[in-house]
Amino acid sequence: MTNETISILGLFDSDDAAAVAIRNLKKSSWSVERVHSPVPSPKIMNALNVKKSRVGWFTLAGGILGFLAGFGLAVFSATRWNLIVGGKPVVAWVPFFIVGFEFTILFAVMGNIIGLLTLARLPQFRPPGPVDPGFSGARFGVIATCARSQETDLSHFFRDNGATVMTVEKPTG
Amino acid sequence: MAELTCDSIDNTVLDTLQPPSRFYWLLIAFLFMGVLLGAGCWLYQIVTGIGVGGQNNPVHWGIYLVNFVFWVGIAHSGTLISAILHLFRAGWRNPIARAAETMTIFAVCVAGLFPFIHLGRVWVVFYMLPIPTQRTLWPNFTSPLMFDVVAISTYLMVSAAFWYTGMLPDLATVRDRASGTRKKIFQVLSLGWTGTHEQWRHYARGYLFFASLATPLVISVHSVVSWDFALGVVPGWHTTIFAPYFVAGAIHSGLAMVLTLMIPLRKIFKYEAIITVSVLENVAKTIVFTGIIVGFAYGTELFIAWYSHNVVEMETFRWRIFGDYSLEYWIMVICNTLIPLLFLFQKIRTRIPWLFGLSLLINVGMWYERFVIIIGSVAHDFVPYTWGLYRPSLIELGIMFGSFCLFFFLFVLFVKHLPSVSMTEMKETLFAGDHHDQ
Repeated sequence: MTNETISILGLFDSDDAAAVAIRNLKKSSWSVERVHSPVPSPKIMNALNVKKSRVGWFTLAGGILGFLAGFGLAVFSATRWNLIVGGKPVVAWVPFFIVGFEFTILFAVMGNIIGLLTLARLPQFRPPGPVDPGFSGARFGVIATCARSQETDLSHFFRDNGATVMTVEKPTG
Repeated sequence: MAELTCDSIDNTVLDTLQPPSRFYWLLIAFLFMGVLLGAGCWLYQIVTGIGVGGQNNPVHWGIYLVNFVFWVGIAHSGTLISAILHLFRAGWRNPIARAAETMTIFAVCVAGLFPFIHLGRVWVVFYMLPIPTQRTLWPNFTSPLMFDVVAISTYLMVSAAFWYTGMLPDLATVRDRASGTRKKIFQVLSLGWTGTHEQWRHYARGYLFFASLATPLVISVHSVVSWDFALGVVPGWHTTIFAPYFVAGAIHSGLAMVLTLMIPLRKIFKYEAIITVSVLENVAKTIVFTGIIVGFAYGTELFIAWYSHNVVEMETFRWRIFGDYSLEYWIMVICNTLIPLLFLFQKIRTRIPWLFGLSLLINVGMWYERFVIIIGSVAHDFVPYTWGLYRPSLIELGIMFGSFCLFFFLFVLFVKHLPSVSMTEMKETLFAGDHHDQ
């Protein structure tokens, strides 16, 4: 039972306080499991030192695919019958570029959505742990893990860093 | 005015989702009757034939197309406010972004109906889709009408996705304060959002890409709509200025519609502390800017007609100013370029009745702009022998009335069932220490 770990939640009223606690946690032997917040906070992201999201690669892939699909569709439609319409060449670059452009945006947005859902693991109907309703209101929650024997120390740490409420989760280890 | 806090923002917005009053249901019933009236007129047209409308030689594009362009234009300011101003980090757009985005989606839906209505034989609409059929015919993608099909459907899907993604954290807020079935519904709608740092990391990046993609899209969509006309060899239409002219006009009318919708919304839902007079004032200032661009475009059209020495162009514009539709022309000029200049006076742009009244007049002016461009040009083109006039029939007016009712019906339904102000973006402004009305 000595290796059993538990998660402790510290609730903060501001992202400044949460960010300071995260920085201090990173200097300690404890690890940050996750952070909940009502808004995207650059301060928390900096404290966590997270990497830039890779959503953009999905967006880019969607955009390239979209341009090829849009332009290809226009070329395919035009070449079914090689008729000159309106004096424009059968494969007319300028008008077909417009179709390609619109498809670029559409597919890039679709790629963006797929990337967002995949990377953020949504939908997620079973929460990763206890979720305080304050997370969607005005509270910032920092969840840290420690060995059960260090529960009191981590609780004191959170209090010292200005956490107003602390909840002990079920053992995860 | 009390200082805004996260709790006050949540409470104010969530209060709007309380069970509605009897007046609300009466309003819904009235608007629904209007929708039924419009649908009835359309059904009558389908059964009887497109001849029940007023379109005939030489004006084949009547107010169905006027309304199409008008509603696409209305849709534009939603994306301007939600995407372009987001990229510029304009904090004052936060209180009105959600409602403006919603306005965009409903306006595109209403606009999208008009090509169907205008078709007459609506059941052959699949001719415009690039699908293999027994006809072995394919759409002609060199036609601006096909650009339109692609652009408008892209715009609708992108706007809807942008709107829904932006609402995810707010749906979670509603869920966390709900119980029973309502909680379950919002749990599904919010996709189980819990606001973890991993979710925010990808969300913030994804939202930025959404805004970056929506910005060129919004400019392209109304440019494409303008090419429906500019690529036609018709005096008054065949001009390179049309794309920027239409985009500026679209944003002009959309901003006016934002004022028209926001002013009753803030009064009814007690949003005064969130949608401040300063926010509305900023919208009014932007209207002055777009109004000047639109006025410049009107002047440029006249100058180019005179400078070209082309007798047909000169006659077209002379007739616009002094001819059978001169009343419509002057309504357009006064409402779109002169009336917005009143917003230069602080006393006017900070008074709610003035803001509301002038926004209505700009909406009227922008509808007439579309009328003047679409009807006026083909009614009086190259050959005097073919000149003629157009007047909408009662059926067309009924369908138009129905379209306005449909737009307001959808919007009124929305404001009582989903958060009409973005709580998350408002709180973001608070935590960033900025002021949401600057």
